[in-house]
Amino acid sequence: MSVLDIKNIHIDFPTSKGVVHAVTDVTLSIEKGRRIGFIGESGSGKTTTALAAMRMLANPGFVAGGEVHLNSLDGNTNVLHLDDEQMRRVRLRKISYIPQGAMNSLNPVMRVDAQIWDAVVAHEGGLSQADLQARSDTALDGVGLDPKVVGRLFPHELSGGMKQRVCIAIGTCLTPDLIIADEPTSALDVITQRHVMQTLREMQEKIGAGLILIGHDMGLMAQSVDDIAVLKKGVLVEFGPVRKIIEDAEHPYTRELISSVPLVGGDSFLSAQASPPKGEKLDQPLLELDGVSKQYGAVTALHPMSFALDGEEPKIISIVGQSGSGKSTMGSLMLGFNDPSAGQVRFKGDDINAMSAGAKLAFRKQVQAVFQDPYACFNPFYRVNHALKFPYENFGMGGDVQTAMEEACTAVGLDPSLVLGRYPHQLSGGQRQRLIVARALMLSPKLLIADEPVSMVDASLRATILANIHDLKDKHGISIIYITHDLATAYHVSDYVMVLYHGHVVEAGPPKEVIGDPQHAYTRLLIDSIPWPDLDRDWGDADDARAALDELARIGGTPETVYRGDIPGFTLGQG
Amino acid sequence: MSHNNAAAPETAAPDMTGITKKQLKRMRRFDNPWNNPKLIWGIGLLLGIVLLGVLGRFFWDPELVFTGAGMPRQGPVGIENLRGQVGTWAHPLGTDVSGKDILALLIVGAPNSLYVGVLASLIGMSIGIFLGFSAGYTGGRVDDVIRVSSDVMITIPPLLILVVVQASFGDITLTMMAILIAAFVWQSPTRLIRAQVLSMRESGYVQMARLSGASNMHIMFREMLPNLVPYLFGSFIANVTTSIVTAVGLEVLGLGPQRVPTLGRVIYDAISSAALTQNMWWWWGFPTILLGVMFIGLLLINLGLDEVSNPRLRKL
Repeated sequence: MSVLDIKNIHIDFPTSKGVVHAVTDVTLSIEKGRRIGFIGESGSGKTTTALAAMRMLANPGFVAGGEVHLNSLDGNTNVLHLDDEQMRRVRLRKISYIPQGAMNSLNPVMRVDAQIWDAVVAHEGGLSQADLQARSDTALDGVGLDPKVVGRLFPHELSGGMKQRVCIAIGTCLTPDLIIADEPTSALDVITQRHVMQTLREMQEKIGAGLILIGHDMGLMAQSVDDIAVLKKGVLVEFGPVRKIIEDAEHPYTRELISSVPLVGGDSFLSAQASPPKGEKLDQPLLELDGVSKQYGAVTALHPMSFALDGEEPKIISIVGQSGSGKSTMGSLMLGFNDPSAGQVRFKGDDINAMSAGAKLAFRKQVQAVFQDPYACFNPFYRVNHALKFPYENFGMGGDVQTAMEEACTAVGLDPSLVLGRYPHQLSGGQRQRLIVARALMLSPKLLIADEPVSMVDASLRATILANIHDLKDKHGISIIYITHDLATAYHVSDYVMVLYHGHVVEAGPPKEVIGDPQHAYTRLLIDSIPWPDLDRDWGDADDARAALDELARIGGTPETVYRGDIPGFTLGQG
Repeated sequence: MSHNNAAAPETAAPDMTGITKKQLKRMRRFDNPWNNPKLIWGIGLLLGIVLLGVLGRFFWDPELVFTGAGMPRQGPVGIENLRGQVGTWAHPLGTDVSGKDILALLIVGAPNSLYVGVLASLIGMSIGIFLGFSAGYTGGRVDDVIRVSSDVMITIPPLLILVVVQASFGDITLTMMAILIAAFVWQSPTRLIRAQVLSMRESGYVQMARLSGASNMHIMFREMLPNLVPYLFGSFIANVTTSIVTAVGLEVLGLGPQRVPTLGRVIYDAISSAALTQNMWWWWGFPTILLGVMFIGLLLINLGLDEVSNPRLRKL
């Protein structure tokens, strides 16, 4: 029996540019106990469709047509006809919602168990303190949190994964018919993501509710849901069982989504260049870290490490790790944005933190960066040309700026007439990130630090942008430090990989060894936790995920480095 | 991969069918934030007061502000005073107890009050921009000193200090009064700009500018300042309001410039000459209405600027 039937729904958003039909004629049913994945890129209408069932559309959106039937209602089952009080009773009790950012969804001044009581009291009226306590204990126990300890804590005392599990506890404490989970793990690292997803699945199976999982990661969908609905620009382009979609997708867009997930060991999305141009031969290494460490107060972000990279043969060195592993600290140390607590960062033999103004400008010209957030990288006050033109002129590079900009845009696959002369908000995230790559190309640096360059870009564009960055090495002879949390892309792009954990390098070597055949427990755990669009791969259950987290806590202290081989022109040493 | 792909919009394209002319007009207004009715009305009201001051000097005799310029205690046109004399066109808004013409007082006094407010606010903003940028961008000890001193200054009620200072100064000029008030309106812009600079300092585009080898001056004035303009405007207008309130407060207490007509001074004279018991409502009534218009104008500008800088407040 179906829990929820969405029939021919249309959702419109009136904007200053005209009416946007965010969702057009979507029809689908959610069966009891079944998990449905809504997948699509940002703006595809996946969240909007799901939220219409809760009547929680963001202003000024409204349902322009169609019906949404919640079959457990008495009499008229169309939720669009309910009054506000009836709708209030439906929310959480019949349809619950697990939000994307758990950190912003919990009340910061209430203890965890009190937030669960809030939900119970709002729907069942006043219960005795003992009853309430029993309810919150069961709810927290169900998601694998210790009610005695966690129940008495405030949200800021919990980790991201724990907060998300509290949200699951609240969402399931009234045994709803349908759970809507809106990208519940997008802010978590892969190890925690696996644990949270397994918990969510376990709870959903226990209460037998339907589940709508909203996301953009085909790998996560393959591991988590029974049916997949693919949305594109508000239209349901494909709907079917997960195995059929993954193995035999009909719509080209679905196939594009699946192929955009890079696989460890799969085919490369890059086309290799026969003979990359050589950089200049130097007596000194291009970039050298000599016993560099960084402390923030009592916290050690990076333990002493040394490496030397010569610039003769351009290479891509990947630094892989989860949030808090110290990888971004390394990036800002190498750019000279941060002083090391000990040791020296040397560029062509000169300490970058003890340079004269003139030498610093020369250093800046030779070391460029691509950052994570393409939305923040452009000053909203200026047209995008400013970001390309200013450094070009500031570094005193000869030649015509306009021609240089147009050539750089063309080289990264952007049409100069479509992007130049626009304001940043008029461009998509992918276009902006490509422009930043074009900017680096224009300045032709010797070294590029790419700090999570594709983590905020839609999945279908990631491969293209990485190919652009790879071209910088292959066609323009620029050495690249690629900082990422994504092992699969590091596998394809890099010549050498360092896996960072709590500021230590735990495993290092060529990617085929480190990622293809990991030896260190942490690297293995990372790779096991990646959700892949491969249905026959076992992602484990919640107990596996829990055991893995315990294992992680065990190796926490001072992990050993596993060296997996060297490549010419790069040497790594701890201490 | 073609570039058409990257240029394609991520959401469905907007549909313009079935939109009425009236809706179209509203949409265009939404697109151009400066075409905001609140902003336009607010600027209109303030311009009206400035025009009153400028044109008034051509069409009315400003010499009438002096004692004995006309018959004392005259009502506005057609209004009888307590002696049964009916107001005439010689003094359309009436006269005060010493025969000063109320219309002339308003023509000279209103721009003076506005001048004090704008000048005090300009000086306060300049100090605030300088200190806010120094604190936010330099950080460390400089930041500590500026932050603590602005926080301490915020807790001191300005009127209390100004009453003491002005009472000891005796008669002062309008400019001097503006400078004294400015000493109390730099704290909130300082705090506002410091907070914005602190968050902007870590933003992507400032990092990009540093990568481009930009100097600190370039980063502060070319990258950060333009993005602060809406905040600066809002803060400036709020400060003008505060400054005028403070100035009028002092004048009504009989402090401030003694020989220059201002709206506050007119109200002070009215109160001290018992205009209320003599039923001479025109004496304090007209300056109060003018002050009200001034504040409503400033408020509307502030609300309008809010909508300009924060599109969420705009309604389609």
